[in-house]
Amino acid sequence: MSRLPLSGLPNNTVSIIQISHLYHRFADGTQGLDDVSLAFEEGEFTVVAGANGSGKTTLLRHINGLLLSESGTVTVCGKSVKADPSAARQQVGMVFQDADSQIVGETVYDDVAFGPENLSLERSQINQRVNQALAAVDLSGFENKMPHHLSGGEKRRLAIAGVLAMTPRVLMMDEPFSNLDYPATCRVLDHILDFHKNGHTIIVTTHDLEKVIAHAQRLVVMVKGRVVKDGMPADVIGGIERYGIRPPCSVLLGQGIRPWVN
Amino acid sequence: MGELTAIGFRHGRSLLHRLDPRTKQALLMGLSVASLGGGVTFLALCTAVMMLCISTAGLRIRRLIIETRYFLFLLCFVFAVRGITFTGGWVPTLSADVAGEALIVCWRLLLVVIMGVLLMATTRTADIRAALVWYLKPVPVVDEKMAATMVGLVVRFLPVILFQGAEIADAQRARGIERRKNPLIRLMRFTIPLFRRVFIRADELAAAMQARCYSDQRTLPELRFARRDTLALGIGILLSSTVMLP
Repeated sequence: MSRLPLSGLPNNTVSIIQISHLYHRFADGTQGLDDVSLAFEEGEFTVVAGANGSGKTTLLRHINGLLLSESGTVTVCGKSVKADPSAARQQVGMVFQDADSQIVGETVYDDVAFGPENLSLERSQINQRVNQALAAVDLSGFENKMPHHLSGGEKRRLAIAGVLAMTPRVLMMDEPFSNLDYPATCRVLDHILDFHKNGHTIIVTTHDLEKVIAHAQRLVVMVKGRVVKDGMPADVIGGIERYGIRPPCSVLLGQGIRPWVN
Repeated sequence: MGELTAIGFRHGRSLLHRLDPRTKQALLMGLSVASLGGGVTFLALCTAVMMLCISTAGLRIRRLIIETRYFLFLLCFVFAVRGITFTGGWVPTLSADVAGEALIVCWRLLLVVIMGVLLMATTRTADIRAALVWYLKPVPVVDEKMAATMVGLVVRFLPVILFQGAEIADAQRARGIERRKNPLIRLMRFTIPLFRRVFIRADELAAAMQARCYSDQRTLPELRFARRDTLALGIGILLSSTVMLP
């Protein structure tokens, strides 16, 4: 399987994403993000955990430029997201929680080609990227299928392929395992681990640490829009239930962090 | 979503699938205009060609009838309005001449809708959009890419809206909406959540498109006008010429 290349931006920045004193208030007055400062290193695998409404998705939307900061700054590859959201979106691919809302094409091919078409690439390049992205998520041969006829796991993988075809350096996934059965969860997890091995920076948000925490290098915990803990998973996991997050079974059984699947 | 395939794109290798989208749009426009003045001969020939196209495109007549059932109700209404006259007070009468004319009107409308369904079922939205950009390019003032995007989105998300409507209707039936006899209340209970969901879905769609760098300056599908397109246009012109026949 040929690998999709990562976008060729200079590699000399220490932090690929830098967030500084970021605030976000929703129209109804709710504080979505409250003085969030974070930096993500290139190639890092980070899990952002928090209960519902803790600000995880809002944070991802700021990094992707779907929301723009009222106060504070977000930079991707050294460039301000507010100044150039489009550049940020090319570097940071976001997979939404609801795959159905992300699928815009009428066939699998159309959907994966949507991003590269927006980048005004040549048709031959688009075809190449689509083939590579579909191969990367084991959906080769599905090109002419209708996305809405795929299973939940296949839709999630299609959504990932749609993002991969834009060759981002960072992959952000919002609750990637929600509504998936056991085999589909395993496949999506395998793909995430492959992308990390291939050099992508991975940011996964979840309220269910069980499946992914053993593979992460960093765990960020959010409560009511604030970052309350940030560090190595083994250091942060203790007492995490007080933030509304269920610890993995292995931790509850006193066996420390262990992989969900072998 | 599986039930919505009849009016959404279906992948296939039929002649209709392989025609240039510009040819299909030209045929749709030309035959629709011709049908305004078409008599029984034109309509019968057109219907025969449409049946052949439906069959080769892999669409099922039964599914097509189910998908267009509301339009068929509308046609019944049109037939009643045009065909039934009230003579000598409040007694409705149906004369053969007037009913025949009403039937022709309904037949024309039905043909236009079937042609539209065939276009949607055999053409990717991206191709419909590319063909529209090609047609609108010489038109001054009109931003062809924006206009084509709007049409493309409508075509793409019409089945989604219908699906949302069906889901809401099912959920309401499950909670006994039929027991409410007032049609206005039933309509309100249906339309308010439908609009809410459609707007939320539109927001989600806009975010998903933005996240993937959506812009007007996109790479459009390559359109190729082949010999089969010339042939199809020729058949279309021949068919249109039968408008002169009774």
